[in-house]
Amino acid sequence: MKKRNVHWAWSAGLLLVFGMAAASPIDIKDLIREAISIPSALGNEEALGTKILSYLPKGAAERDNLGSVYARFGSGGSKIALLAPLDEYGWFVSGITPDGYLRLDRSAQPQPNFDNYLLGHPVVISTQKGLLYGVVSQPAMHLITRERREELGNLSLDLVYVDIGARSGEDARQKGIEFLDPVTLWPELSALADDRWAGLSLGQKSSCALLLGLAEDLGKAKLSQEVALAWMAQSKYPTRSGGARSSLGAIRAKRTIQPKLAIIVDGVPADRGEKSPALGKGPVLILPKEGAAKLKDAVEAVAREAKISLQYQTGAESALLNGLVGDGTEALMLAIPVKFAQTPSEVVDLKDVLALKTLLLQLLQSGRVK
Amino acid sequence: MRKAVYIILLSALTLSLAISAPQGAPRAVSPASGWDLLRKIVLIPGLSSQEGKVSDFIQAALPSSLKVQRDAKSNVWFTVGEGKPHILFVAHLDELGFLVDKITPQGTVLLRVRGGLLPQTCEARPFVIHTAKGPVEGVIQPKPDYYQGQTAAAAPSRQPAVVTAQNPAPPASTTAPVPAQKPPQTAAQPFPKPAPVQAKAPAPAQAPAKPQGQAPAAEPVELYLGCSSEQEVRALGVAEGDQVLFKKRLVDLAPDIMATRAVDDRAGCAALLAAALCLDWTKIKTRTITFAWDVEEETGLNGAQLLAKTLKPDYVFAIDTFVSTDSPLENKRFGYAVLGQGAVLRSIDTSNVTPKTEIRKVAKIAEGRKIPIQIRNSRGGNDGSVFVADGAADIPLSWAGAYAHSFIEKIVKSDLEALTDLIAALVEEWK
Repeated sequence: MKKRNVHWAWSAGLLLVFGMAAASPIDIKDLIREAISIPSALGNEEALGTKILSYLPKGAAERDNLGSVYARFGSGGSKIALLAPLDEYGWFVSGITPDGYLRLDRSAQPQPNFDNYLLGHPVVISTQKGLLYGVVSQPAMHLITRERREELGNLSLDLVYVDIGARSGEDARQKGIEFLDPVTLWPELSALADDRWAGLSLGQKSSCALLLGLAEDLGKAKLSQEVALAWMAQSKYPTRSGGARSSLGAIRAKRTIQPKLAIIVDGVPADRGEKSPALGKGPVLILPKEGAAKLKDAVEAVAREAKISLQYQTGAESALLNGLVGDGTEALMLAIPVKFAQTPSEVVDLKDVLALKTLLLQLLQSGRVK
Repeated sequence: MRKAVYIILLSALTLSLAISAPQGAPRAVSPASGWDLLRKIVLIPGLSSQEGKVSDFIQAALPSSLKVQRDAKSNVWFTVGEGKPHILFVAHLDELGFLVDKITPQGTVLLRVRGGLLPQTCEARPFVIHTAKGPVEGVIQPKPDYYQGQTAAAAPSRQPAVVTAQNPAPPASTTAPVPAQKPPQTAAQPFPKPAPVQAKAPAPAQAPAKPQGQAPAAEPVELYLGCSSEQEVRALGVAEGDQVLFKKRLVDLAPDIMATRAVDDRAGCAALLAAALCLDWTKIKTRTITFAWDVEEETGLNGAQLLAKTLKPDYVFAIDTFVSTDSPLENKRFGYAVLGQGAVLRSIDTSNVTPKTEIRKVAKIAEGRKIPIQIRNSRGGNDGSVFVADGAADIPLSWAGAYAHSFIEKIVKSDLEALTDLIAALVEEWK
C-alpha cells in the first residue's frame, strides 16, 4: 500500500471512531471515572469545573468567581434548578518542614475520624505544576512503640507528615509546592459485585456525573420550562464551623439562578442501621423542615409511573437545603445512597444512580413541576 | 522507513538475546533494570504461602542454562560452580496480607491475617481477592461507629493492635534471643518467633515488656464485595484460603523514588534477579554460588528452613529490607540509614549479629568498587539466620526502606542499584 493510501486509511478510521464517539450518548460510568480522577477539594474546584464545562454546550454554560458551574436549558414556566456539589473533602498544605515534608490543615472534614485515613496512604497534591503524589508517613511496624500506636489510633494532624520525596523545603518548593495547595486522598475506584462501585468521594462525584449526563439529555429534550443545572463550589464550607450554617455554594447558586423550585442531588449515608436508607433500594427523598409539597407530590407521581422505588429520610439537617429553601424557593433533596459514606471507599450502587437520572429526566419532561 | 525496520529488528534481537542468552554469556541487562524488574514484580500477588506466581516470574526470567530448581513450596534457586566456600544469596518472595477465612451468610468475607499490618490503615480500603477465576475487588469494612466522634474512636475496641492471626501480645523485646546452640533438628527454628505469623515481629522497639494475652484483641477483619449472600460470593469464585491483598498501586514520589506495598522483599528479589542476569557465570569455577528466592519468610522463615535441609552454605547473604528510621515519626537512635545513600549492611538485627570481620570484608569490596554502602543496625529478622546454626555466617544486605510493613514502603532507585552492584561484586570477589 502506498504511503498516501495508508494515511487516508488511518484518517478514515479515526474519523469513523471519533464520529461514532461524538454521536453516541455519554456513558455515565465514564463520567464518574473522569470525575473521580480529578481532585476537587473545597476551594479548589477549578479543574473539575473545567472538565464539566468541556462537556456543556457553549453559550449555555458559565462559571462564577466562586468556581461554580451553571448550565441553562429551555425557557418559560417555573424556573427549576438541579444542583450537585462540586467540592470534596480534603486538606491543604499549611507548612513545609526544613527537611521537605508537608504539614496539613483540613479544608473540610465530614466526620471526626476522617483524618485517620491519611496515615500510611498516598495523597494527591494539586500544585501549580500539576498533580504531585505524596505518602503520609507511618512508623515502620518493626519499630513502632506502644505509645506511638496509641497516639496513631486517633490521628492528630500534629502527627501527619506528607512525604513527597523531597529532602529540603527548597526541594519541595522546586517540585511546585506552595502554601494552601489542596491535598486529597488517592482517588481509587474499585468495581464490586452487582453494579456497585467503591471510591473516594463517590457520592459527590456520582452526583456531578449524573447531572452532566442529564445535561446531555436536556440538550435534546423539549422542555416547557427553564431548567438550570448547577455544580456548586464550596458546598461543604459550613463543615468548617461544625455544619451549623448554610452551604455557601447553595446560597450563591440560589442568588445566581433564583429558582422557584430546586432539587439537590448528592450522596446520603446508607446502611447505617434500621432507619437508614439502604444501598440499591432507589433514590432517597429528603425533605426540608418547611416541606416542599408541590415538588414532593410531583417526584412521587413520576416515580410511581416510572416504577422507581423511593426511600425517605426525615429529620435530616442539610446545609445544602438550608441554603436554598425559603424566600419563594421550594427545595428538596434526591440523594444517592452511599455505603461507607465519608470514608476513602464510598460505595454506590450504579442502579441507584441511573434510577435517579431517569427519575429527574422524566420529572422535567412530565410537566408536573411546570 | 528501512531504518525504522532495522531498529525494530535490532531491538527484537537484543530482547531475544537478553531472554535466551546461554550460561556464561554476559547478559544485556544493566543493574539499572533492577528498578524495572521491581516495578513489575512488586505487583504480582504472592501472599505468604501462596507465592507461586512470583516464583513463576523469577523462573521465567532466568535462562534455562542456569538449571533453576523449584520445590513443592515454590522456593526457586540455582547453583553455579563447585568447591568452597559455598555462598548463598537469598531473598524472600512472600508478602503480607490476608486469607479468606469464612464466607458469611450475609455475603461478606471474614479474613485471617498473614503478617503484621497496622489495622486502622486497612479500614475502608480496597483489597483484591485473588481467586481461581481471577481478581475480585472488595473493601474492608470500617468500624461500625467510624463516623462518630472521639468517644467511640477512643474506646478500647478501637485501640490499634498489631493484627495477627493468633492475636499475640507484642513480644517483650524486639531483640528476641537467638539460641546459642544448635537447635534440635525437629525444632528447626533458629530464630524463635514470638508469634507464629510474625517472623519479622513488628514490635515496639522501646515498649515495656508485657505478658502474653494482655494485648488488645485483634478485631475480625471483614471484606465487603457488594454481595448479599454466601451464594453470590461463591459465584464470583471466592473460596476459603484465597489470598487477599491490598489493591496495589505504584506511587512515584519522583522518577527515582517509589512507594508501594510489598517492596519488602520484592526489591530484594529484583536486585538478586538483576544481578543474576548481568553476571558472567562462566567465571565461577572454584567456588559454589547459590541464588535463592524463598517463600514464607513473613510467617516464620519456613521457606528458608526447607532450603536449609539441603543447602549448607558457608556464607549467606540475606537480601531484605533495612527497616530505616529515615522518617519524621521515628527515633533516630538506631536504624538511621538514609534513603538515597546506598546499600545497607544490616549488621545487627533481631535475628542475627554479623561478625565484624565479615562486615569489614564486605565494606572493603564495596570500597574497591566504589559502591556506596551504609553500615547500620535495626530490627526485624532475616532468612539468613536459619543457616547460622549449621555453620554459615549470616551477612544481611539491604537497601534503606522507609515505612516497612505499610502500604507505602518507600525505596530509592540508586539504593537498589547499589545493592545490585554489591551482590554482583560479592559473587565475583567473596572468598
